[in-house]
Amino acid sequence: MITISVALVAVLFLMGALAGTLGALLGLGGGIFLVPFLVLVLHVPMHLAVGTSLTTVIATSTVVSAGRLGRQLVNLRLGMLLEVATTLGGLTGGVVAATIPPHVLQRVFGVVAGISALMMFRRLDRRNVILDPSADPGRLGGRYHEDESGGEVTYRVKRIPVGMGVSFVAGSISSLLGVGGGIIKVPALNGWCGVPLRAAAATSAFMIGVTATTGAIIYYGRGDIVPWMSASTVLGVLLGSRLGMAVSEKARAKPLKLLLAIVLCFVCVLMFVRAR
Amino acid sequence: MSTPAVERLEHLLGIVLHAGAVASTTLLAVGLLLLMVAPSHPWASWATTAGLLILIATPVTRVVTSVAQYAVERDWLFVTLTAMVLVVLLGSLLVARG
Repeated sequence: MITISVALVAVLFLMGALAGTLGALLGLGGGIFLVPFLVLVLHVPMHLAVGTSLTTVIATSTVVSAGRLGRQLVNLRLGMLLEVATTLGGLTGGVVAATIPPHVLQRVFGVVAGISALMMFRRLDRRNVILDPSADPGRLGGRYHEDESGGEVTYRVKRIPVGMGVSFVAGSISSLLGVGGGIIKVPALNGWCGVPLRAAAATSAFMIGVTATTGAIIYYGRGDIVPWMSASTVLGVLLGSRLGMAVSEKARAKPLKLLLAIVLCFVCVLMFVRAR
Repeated sequence: MSTPAVERLEHLLGIVLHAGAVASTTLLAVGLLLLMVAPSHPWASWATTAGLLILIATPVTRVVTSVAQYAVERDWLFVTLTAMVLVVLLGSLLVARG
C-alpha cells in the first residue's frame, strides 16, 4: 500500500501533466505515457497503474467531449453503436486482467504501445469526403462544418462489422492496459469505415469515456483505484492535455511528433525489458 | 444529420458531461488539498472519494440520458443499443461486487 505524502501527490500531478502534454501532442490520450511512468519511475504495481490511468482516460474524454458536442463533429449514432462493442470489450478485458500476472501484463503493454508508436510513424491522412453537400450520408453517416475549407463535409460509413470488431478489441485493450484505445479505433474508422479523420478522432474520444468506465468500475471494486492517487494524476493529466492541445494547435510540428514517437518506442522497450 | 433531434441530444449530453467534469474536478481538487493540509478533516477523504465516484458516474449518466432521449424520440433501435451499453455497465458493476 502506498501512503499519501505531499511529495508523492506533487510527483503524481507532475507525471500526469507530462503524460497529458505528451499524449495530446501526439493526438493520443495520456494513458500510453502515464502507465509506464507510474510503473517504471514510481514502481507502482501494474494493476494499480492501469486503474489509475483508466480514471484519467474518463476525465480526458469527459472534458474534451463536453467542449466538442454541439458542432456535429462527434458522430453520436455511430458512437452509440460502436460503444456496444467497446464496452463489451472493456468488460471482457477487466475480467481477464485479474487473471494475468503483472509482469505479463507489463509485457503486453510494451508490445501494444510499441505497435501504436510504429503506427504513429505511418499515419495516413486519407480523406473520405463527399463534397456534394446534398449527398445522403445514410443512417449512420455524418455531416459537419470544416473550418479550413469553410465547407460542409459529408461522409457515409462503410463496413460496420469491421468497425464493431475493432471496437471490441480496442475496448479490451483499454481495460487491460489503462489506455483509451483511440490509437486502434481511429485509423480503422478512418481507413476502413470511411469516416474522416477528424470525425473519427472526435467520435473515438467520445466513446473512450464510457469504455474506460467499464474497466474503472471493475478495478475500483478490486481496490486497484486509490482516490487520492487518481485525484493527483487526473488533475495533472487534465492540465497537461490542455497544454498539449494548445501547443499542437499553434505548431504543426512534425519533427516534434517524430521525436515523441521515438520516445514512446523507447518507453515500450523499457516496459518490456523491465517486466519482472 | 443536423436535425433538431440530434442537436437536442448533443445539447443534453454536453450539459451532462460539463456538469460531471466541473463537479468531479472541483471535488477532487478540494479533497486533495484537504488531504494534504488537514488530513484528519472529515471532508478530506469524503470529497476525494465523491469526486472520483462522480467522475466514474458521469459516462454512466450520459448513457442513461441517451436512452431517455432516444425513447422520447421513439427511436427504438437506438433505445435498444444504448440500453445494451447500460446493461454492460451493470455487468461490470456485478463483476466488481462479486
